[in-house]
Amino acid sequence: MSNSQPFFDFAPIWQSRVLLIEGFGIAMFSAVAGIILAIILGLIIALMRLSRFKILRGFAFIYTQLFRGVPLYVLILWIYFGLVYAVGIDIPRIPSGIIALALLNSGYLSETFRSGILAVSNGQREAGQALGLKGWQVARYIILPQAGRIVIPPTGNQFIDAIKDSAILSIIGVPELMKVAQEQANLFYRPFEFYTVAGLLYLVAVLIVSRGITALENRFAKYSRKSGSSENSVVTTATTDASH
Amino acid sequence: MSETLLKINNVTKVFGTHVVLKDIDLDIVKGEVVCIIGPSGSGKSTLLRCINFIAPPDQGEIIFEGKTWKRFHSRFNIFANRKYEGELPRLRSEIGMVFQHFNVFPHMTAVENVMLGLTKVRKEGRAKAREIAEQSLIQVGLGDKLNQYPEKLSGGQKQRVAIARALALNPKVMLFDEVTSSLDPELVSGILDEIRRLAKDGMTMVIVTHEMNFAFQVANRIVFMDEGRIVTMGTPDEIRNTTDPRARAFLSSILG
Ligand SMILES: Nc1ncnc2c1ncn2[C@@H]1O[C@H](COP(=O)(O)OP(=O)(O)O)[C@@H](O)[C@H]1O
Ligand SMILES: [Mg+2]
Repeated sequence: MSNSQPFFDFAPIWQSRVLLIEGFGIAMFSAVAGIILAIILGLIIALMRLSRFKILRGFAFIYTQLFRGVPLYVLILWIYFGLVYAVGIDIPRIPSGIIALALLNSGYLSETFRSGILAVSNGQREAGQALGLKGWQVARYIILPQAGRIVIPPTGNQFIDAIKDSAILSIIGVPELMKVAQEQANLFYRPFEFYTVAGLLYLVAVLIVSRGITALENRFAKYSRKSGSSENSVVTTATTDASH
Repeated sequence: MSETLLKINNVTKVFGTHVVLKDIDLDIVKGEVVCIIGPSGSGKSTLLRCINFIAPPDQGEIIFEGKTWKRFHSRFNIFANRKYEGELPRLRSEIGMVFQHFNVFPHMTAVENVMLGLTKVRKEGRAKAREIAEQSLIQVGLGDKLNQYPEKLSGGQKQRVAIARALALNPKVMLFDEVTSSLDPELVSGILDEIRRLAKDGMTMVIVTHEMNFAFQVANRIVFMDEGRIVTMGTPDEIRNTTDPRARAFLSSILG
């Protein structure tokens, strides 16, 4: 470090503030869009895995294994470059990144949702059936609300991972926070400053999301967790289960 | 004179290779109270669950109010099976069921628990449903707990919610599966009193219980099951004086 320059030079950061904020916005947008799609896909895949139709179960199983097994790095490159090369489907950068985040996270979330659904005791389903509710009504009014409560914390963790993972979108040139930080760091020869600020921005986002998740948990804490679910079930973010 | 409400015809239920119910025949008359007794694992719960097809019988049929309910056996007859499954909720909504472990919905208040069947099965409007649900809860002595979540209720109160939830749909028959077995001893008699009240009102009931004194008192007929079969049945007096060795052994083990 040269003596003529301060340890932490804030000036270049300030000059690049608009680019940094835009990059931050794109990163957050990608993570939020990715996780919302992942929740929808994950729920569909989880329901398929619990279906009584073998074909659906098989498809969901392969889906889960595939997207949990491939590194995000590979997934992104494959969607952005591979699809054009292989089948001529050209998806722009940001949608490519969002799709990659959605697929990867849906693989994990489908397992989370599946164990959340299984954690609701069978007695709950039977009580609903005994009232004369139809199958979908039992799912909609009895199982899913209780499973939803159970899966809030692991889903929140997945969201936090998605925020941090969005940095990888830089490899296909998405102008998100990491890409902006790289470019500006090179421009000003101040890597320490730019990467520190980028890291802090991710950290702030993660802290805000964590608070949001806690708030959400408390909102649903009006009934106890244990009374609706079987005592011995454990829900984890990534339950590996190849035995089904 | 007495009109058969529910016929259990030749019902067999198998789990894997384990034959849990074997050729069960039982007719239940309108207004009758039938108590089912027998050792643990003898198939009492499974029999109740066959009646409303929560555990569909593998063979045999249930005739309820003259309509026959049975499972189709052809795996290829997807449409017939779908149609039959689609109709099951209609059968179930006429049959109330109360469980050993209450199975109240923890994410709903007492009144919401009772309203669910009214709004979704009986298609009542919310206001009407709430009115019926509140009445139903008041009947079982929970008028002051309408808006409580189950977490805040005792076991006995949860079981009352479950009873109110079933009764609110105005079922033609009630099934009780050891509904006092997981209650603290001091709460048992209150729940049994609720069932006695129903008996007095003429409700048709099938009650699985280990409370022998209660069974002798409330039942028109007692059925003794062992190893998936009905071993013997009769009036309380007949069962008290039964000569069947297994029934005698069971009664002396439970009555001491
Ligand atoms: N879902 C099930 N899967 C496999 N076996 C079962 C199932 N439900 C009950 N059984 C078996 O069926 C037998 C009868 O059970 P159950 O009807 O609960 O008896 P009871 O209520 O008289 O104690 C038991 O041996 C039990 O292990
Ligand atoms: Mg039982």
